[in-house]
Amino acid sequence: MTNSTAVSITDLGVSFPTSSGPAHAVAGVSLDLPRGQITGLVGESGSGKSTLALSLLNAVPAPGSVTSGSVEIDGVGDVLTLKGSALRKTRGAKIGYVFQASQNSLNPLKPVGKQLLDLGRSHGVRDRRDLLHRARLLVEEMGLDAERVLASYQHELSGGMRQRVGIVFALVLNAHVLILDEPTTALDMLSQASVLEIVQKVHSERGLTTLIISHDVGVIGDIADRMAVMYAGRIVEEGPTPSVLASPWHPYTRALLTAMPRITGDVSAAKQLPGRPPDLSSIPRAGCVFAPRCALAEDACTETEPENTFLADHRFACFVTARETAKETTA
Amino acid sequence: MIEVKGLTRTFAARRGLLGRGSVHALRGIDVTIPDHGAVSVIGESGCGKTTLGRILCGLESFDGGDVIIDGESLSALKPKDRAPFHRKIQMIHQDPYSALNPTRTIGQILADPLSLRGRQLDADRKWLEARRAELLGLVGLDPDYVLPRYPHMLSGGMRQRVVIARALTVDPDVLVADEAVSMIDVSLRLGILQLLRDLRDRVGVSVLFITHDVATARYVGDNSDLYVLYRGTVIEHGPADTVIQRPAHPYTQCLLSAIPVLRGIELPGPDRVVPNGPLDERQEPPGCLFEPRCPFAEADCRAGAPALALRGDATQLHACLHPALRSVVAVPASRS
Repeated sequence: MTNSTAVSITDLGVSFPTSSGPAHAVAGVSLDLPRGQITGLVGESGSGKSTLALSLLNAVPAPGSVTSGSVEIDGVGDVLTLKGSALRKTRGAKIGYVFQASQNSLNPLKPVGKQLLDLGRSHGVRDRRDLLHRARLLVEEMGLDAERVLASYQHELSGGMRQRVGIVFALVLNAHVLILDEPTTALDMLSQASVLEIVQKVHSERGLTTLIISHDVGVIGDIADRMAVMYAGRIVEEGPTPSVLASPWHPYTRALLTAMPRITGDVSAAKQLPGRPPDLSSIPRAGCVFAPRCALAEDACTETEPENTFLADHRFACFVTARETAKETTA
Repeated sequence: MIEVKGLTRTFAARRGLLGRGSVHALRGIDVTIPDHGAVSVIGESGCGKTTLGRILCGLESFDGGDVIIDGESLSALKPKDRAPFHRKIQMIHQDPYSALNPTRTIGQILADPLSLRGRQLDADRKWLEARRAELLGLVGLDPDYVLPRYPHMLSGGMRQRVVIARALTVDPDVLVADEAVSMIDVSLRLGILQLLRDLRDRVGVSVLFITHDVATARYVGDNSDLYVLYRGTVIEHGPADTVIQRPAHPYTQCLLSAIPVLRGIELPGPDRVVPNGPLDERQEPPGCLFEPRCPFAEADCRAGAPALALRGDATQLHACLHPALRSVVAVPASRS
C-alpha cells in the first residue's frame, strides 16, 4: 500500500455455498481507494457490489464467507483479520458506512438524538456532550435544523433528511473512510442532487476517502473522481471517471453507456444490452464473465479469463479491445 | 381519448399532535391523453403524479373536476358503472417483484384476467391459450420458456414484461406506467421503454408515463407531451423536447438542473438553477406555490397564483409571471 492509498483491496474473494457448489459473489477483486478521493463503484443488481462493500467492514453476511485476499485500511490494518471487540470498534470509528435504504434503517421508536447516544455508548464515548455537539455541527453542515432533527422520530423526516442523518451517523465518530451504498436510490431528482452535493461537501471539508456504490452510472459519473465497473463479481474496468466515460474499453462499459437513458443526444442511438445480468448461479465458470452477452466475444473468451490491460491509470479486462489499444498505440 | 378537467383530490392528514390539516394532492389539473399518444408526467415526490394515475385507473376517488373517457363523463356515472371505463386504463406498477403473485406460474397469472375477458367475448379455452401466447410474443417473451415458470425465476426486466402482458389482457386503451422502469436494471431499462413505444404502434395503446427521471421520459416517444407537476398543479406543459431543451418555469429548470452530469462526456448546462431549500408541504403561499423556493421570485409572485398561459418567448404553456428560457440540461462535451 502506498502513501496515497487509504484503502487497498487485494485479490478479494467472497463466496456463498449453494447446492451446486460455492458461488463466487466477489472473485479476485483488487481495488485501491486513493486518499482524499471519491471512488465510484457501479454495477447492476447481483454484480456483487454490496458484498464487496460489506467486506470492507468484514461484515459479509452468513452463509457467505471471505475465501481469499486482504482489505488493508489506513490506520487499521487488514480488516479481514480483525475479530470481536477490535472489529466492533473499527466499524463506525474508522469506517463510516451508510447502508442501502439507510433512510429505513433508523429505529422508529427512538428519536434520532437518543439513537446517537446509543451509538456513542456502544463505542465507549465518555463525553456525551461533545458527541452531541459534533452531531449538531454535522447536521447543520448538511443544511438541516439540528435541534429539530435530533428531537425527531424517523417518520417525521423526509427521505432525503433520513439519508443525511445516515451520513451523520457514519461520520460522527470521525471516521476517515466513508462508504455509501446506494445513497440516492428511492430519492427523487432534487433530493438526489442535494444529497450528492452534501456528500461532495463533507468529503472535501473533512478530507475523507469515499467509496460510493450505485447502479446508476449518472450518479457515479457526476460525483466520483475514479470509477470502477463491476460485473458478475469482477471489476471489469477501472480508471479516472472522465477517462472511463469518454473512452470506455470494456465491451460491458460501452454497452452500459449505450443502454443508458440520457438527457442529451440522439434517442434512437440508445440500444438495450442483450441477455440478462447474471445471478450467482448463472455466472460462467470459465472464461470472461461477460462473454455470453458480449457482441465482440471470440472462442478464447469462453476459455480463459482475461487479465487486466493497463493504459496509464485506466485498466480493463478484455482480450479483444486490448488488441485495439495495441493498434492505436502503434498507429 | 381521455380528458382530465380541473381534477382535484384532497387527503385529510394529521399534523403533529395538534389539529388536522389537509394535503392537496391535486389542485385542479387538466391533462389530455390522445389516442395512440404518449404523455409524460414529471415532478418530485408528493407532486400528485401518482394520485393522477391512480384516479385514472379507478384506484382512487376524486373530489372535484372530471375525467372524460371517450366522451363519457365519469362524474356523471355512479361508481359501480365506472368500472368498464376504468378497465380501458391499466396500471403498470413500479415494482415488478411485488406485482406478481409468487405462488402462481406466469401461465396462471395471465389465464385469470384472460378467462374473464374470454367470457365477455364468448371465447373458448383455445382462444385463451392462443391469446396468452400472442401477448407474451408481443412483449418479447418466449411463451414456452415463460409460461411454466414462477416470477422468482425471471429477471426484473422479464417480470416487468409479464406485468405489461397482463395489463394488455383486457385490451386497454391506455397504459399508466408509474415509475415503471426505476427498479429495472440499467442494461434492461431501455428494452422496457422501447417496448412501451412499440406497443403504441403495434397495439395502438396510449401511454401515460409517470416518472421523476426526466431522461427516461424522452424514450417513450418522439412526439410525446410533457406535463410538469408541482404540488398538485400543472406548471408547465408542452412537447417533451421543447420543455427539456428550453424550459420556461423556474421549477422545471430546477428539476432539469438536478440531473447528474457525466464527467468527461457532458458539460453542465450554462444556466443551471438550484431551488431555495427543500419543499415544505406545510407552507401554503398565497401566490405562486413555488415562490418560496424560487430564486427568481419578485413581489408580484406573492399576489396571486399565475395561470397556465403563454408568456414571453416560450412556445409552451407555463404558470410563471416572469418566464425566462434557460438551458439547464447537460450538453455533450466536444471530444478532444
